[in-house]
Amino acid sequence: MQIYNDYKEHADFLTVYVREAHPTDEWQMKSNVKDDVCYAQPKTLEQRMAIANDFTKRFKYPLPFGVDDMANAADLAYSAWPERLYIIDEHGYIAYRGGMGPFNYKPDEARAWLAGRYGEVKHPEKTEAAPAPKKS
Amino acid sequence: MKRFLKWTLGVMLGLLVLAFAGLSYLAGSPKDALYMARYALPHMHRGTLKVGDDAPDARLLALDGQTRFHIRERTAGRPLVLVFGSFT
Repeated sequence: MQIYNDYKEHADFLTVYVREAHPTDEWQMKSNVKDDVCYAQPKTLEQRMAIANDFTKRFKYPLPFGVDDMANAADLAYSAWPERLYIIDEHGYIAYRGGMGPFNYKPDEARAWLAGRYGEVKHPEKTEAAPAPKKS
Repeated sequence: MKRFLKWTLGVMLGLLVLAFAGLSYLAGSPKDALYMARYALPHMHRGTLKVGDDAPDARLLALDGQTRFHIRERTAGRPLVLVFGSFT
């Protein structure tokens, strides 16, 4: 996540894992089948934790991470599902409120808020090295 | 009167078809539109939070499965970018 790499020296980041958007037992997307991201909607916190751990391990996800409880307290407080961005300022007030994802999920708006506060920051994108070809 | 009712029903049906066509376009297909209406729309809320509001708190569980912490614990000193989402 480029915005994190660019602004982690200035702001804290926290990813909050909320209920699944496209589980196999609800509205599954073909793209998730293709990408082998197939999970049923968790019924227990342990199931939710397992998926969150799969996610962070699969993508080597670097952001600090928290999992919403089964009462969906964080989701309900922030109307967060399926995905949404907020910025809370250092005094505890909402400074940026993103729109409802996926159609109005706009990281560029959050980036613009951070750029307005700290100036434009753009580190080179980190790309993983391609695997070495197998020797025959 | 019957003619008026007929027209009203016709217009309502037309609007319904248009709404479903629009939803199908957004979702990707008529089947996805049905799933969207059943599974997604009930959970999507614009919410009432606005810029300047006190940020709500909620307790989260860390990935170790043991540590619990509050969102507001992370807001001292610097802005906090909150990224909500799931795997799928």
